[in-house]
Amino acid sequence: MDPTAEVGHENGLSGESGAAKMQERLQKRHQARIEEVERRKEAKENQSVAEEKGEYFSSTFATEQACVEELLSSCSGADRAAVTQRLEEATARTVQLQKFLNDSMLFLTQYKMRQAQAALQSLQTSIAEIREKALPKKKFAFGARSKGPGNVPAPVSDAAPPDAAPPADSGEVDGADASEQCFFSNMDDEFLTKTSEEIQKRDVLLSHLSNCKVRLFGSPSTLHLKHIDSCEILCGPVSTSVFVDSCRNSTLAFACQQLRTHNTTDTQVYLHVTSRAIVEDCHRVSVAPFSWSYPTLDEDFTASGLDRDRNNWSQVDDFNWLAAGIPSPNWSILPEADRKTNWGP
Amino acid sequence: MGFLTILKKMKQKEREMRLLMLGLDNAGKTTILKKFNGEDVSTISPTLGFNIKTLEHKGFKLNIWDVGGQKSLRSYWKNYFESTDGLVWVVDSADRLRLQDCRQELSALLLEERLAGATLLVFANKQDLPGSLSKEAIREALALDEIKSHHWCIIGCSAVTGENLLTGVDWLLDDIAARIFTAD
Ligand SMILES: Nc1nc2c(ncn2[C@@H]2O[C@H](COP(=O)(O)OP(=O)(O)OP(=O)(O)O)[C@@H](O)[C@H]2O)c(=O)[nH]1
Ligand SMILES: [Mg+2]
Repeated sequence: MDPTAEVGHENGLSGESGAAKMQERLQKRHQARIEEVERRKEAKENQSVAEEKGEYFSSTFATEQACVEELLSSCSGADRAAVTQRLEEATARTVQLQKFLNDSMLFLTQYKMRQAQAALQSLQTSIAEIREKALPKKKFAFGARSKGPGNVPAPVSDAAPPDAAPPADSGEVDGADASEQCFFSNMDDEFLTKTSEEIQKRDVLLSHLSNCKVRLFGSPSTLHLKHIDSCEILCGPVSTSVFVDSCRNSTLAFACQQLRTHNTTDTQVYLHVTSRAIVEDCHRVSVAPFSWSYPTLDEDFTASGLDRDRNNWSQVDDFNWLAAGIPSPNWSILPEADRKTNWGP
Repeated sequence: MGFLTILKKMKQKEREMRLLMLGLDNAGKTTILKKFNGEDVSTISPTLGFNIKTLEHKGFKLNIWDVGGQKSLRSYWKNYFESTDGLVWVVDSADRLRLQDCRQELSALLLEERLAGATLLVFANKQDLPGSLSKEAIREALALDEIKSHHWCIIGCSAVTGENLLTGVDWLLDDIAARIFTAD
């Protein structure tokens, strides 16, 4: 793909006219030509830098790939503990490799990109296969949901009953893959915690909680809160977005890339947000800088990839209040004197 | 020569396409756009309006419109329908709670006269999340098989890893090109 400039801006002969300006125009034209030549030269240089980077990428990628393959093949015949440890290392290295690929996409050719993606995929498959064989499945049951893994979408088949279609009117398709999505739901008056291992890189959903204290020690990929009443919910660094809907009378704390708050009232958010927080259909939401801490917070920040030095907690966009210059009445900054400093267990 | 034929000829000459990206807020539209264009995706904010990006791909000039999906912005979507060649509908595959919303918004769009000629690409995004629904499950939840009015295709992808973004866009371009740039 060849990104081009957003919109071309020609340094044309706009505005003035008349012979007196001719000299100046010719001069400008000449200047423009020189600049164009320079630009081309630079583009060419960039091109060769890109090629060099491509070489570097290929060889580094290949070395690392071989290393993971080595690890995997050394699993056969090894004992449980050794397999566990090697798989862990292989997984971690694969994740690194994926990161490396992501970071390199800018200058890779489509062909190289696909090739690398395919190699990664096959590593991931091998890891899963070995794990399946050598280690019993660790079921990810999370939360106190009484329903079993409910309406798992049936494999698409032509023979499916014609009336099988739309899910209930509630508009919630839930239960599917319950072993994969982490959640707490329908709880009252509980103290709930999750460890880093349980939520790392996952999508976590908390719904229909009231009077609960929740501690999520770790770095999930994303976090959804829905129908929360009078709770205190604290969570480690979330690599992408936190989505809050229908929350009232609560205290929240987390670090994230984006915070999206909807239909929320009387709630305080202790926030570290690297891009932007927004509110929509909210009232009396107040924000303060993230101040919760726990022993592995530093590691989790690193794992999340969030920039610790960039915190835009005090800049909240209200989608119902687009009047420039006049502050939104729907959110405010929590006065320092009112901020919580002791978070307890 | 009729007006439409002239327009077609003009487009043909420029090989220009207009793509409109829509979907609920938080689906990953802006992230897809920036990732596709090789830009940093860690600084993206929720879109308070729209982004437009012009880029070249496979010899086509693509004008891609990415419009914010927050509830309060959806009523403005219609301002962007005109002369859309391809509609990219982006779904957060891990957001089970809003699939019905998602389905309703999409079916409303497909009734729009001004989008009648557009090809539809559905991106089942965020496939990197362990709890995400498969593209088959999304296809069912959005009742895509009932769509008879548009050419459509669903592709599972991840804007974070970049997986399948090219595959999706390539399909879309091929489909549009077959419609508008080939002889009458
Ligand atoms: N895990 C994961 N997160 C994603 C993916 N794509 C986007 N995100 C995250 O989802 C959040 C929302 O992404 P945006 O691109 O801002 O969503 P949008 O559809 O443009 O939202 P609006 O502008 O409000 O309409 C961000 O935090 C992204 O990092 C993906 O493929 N996987
Ligand atoms: Mg956006």
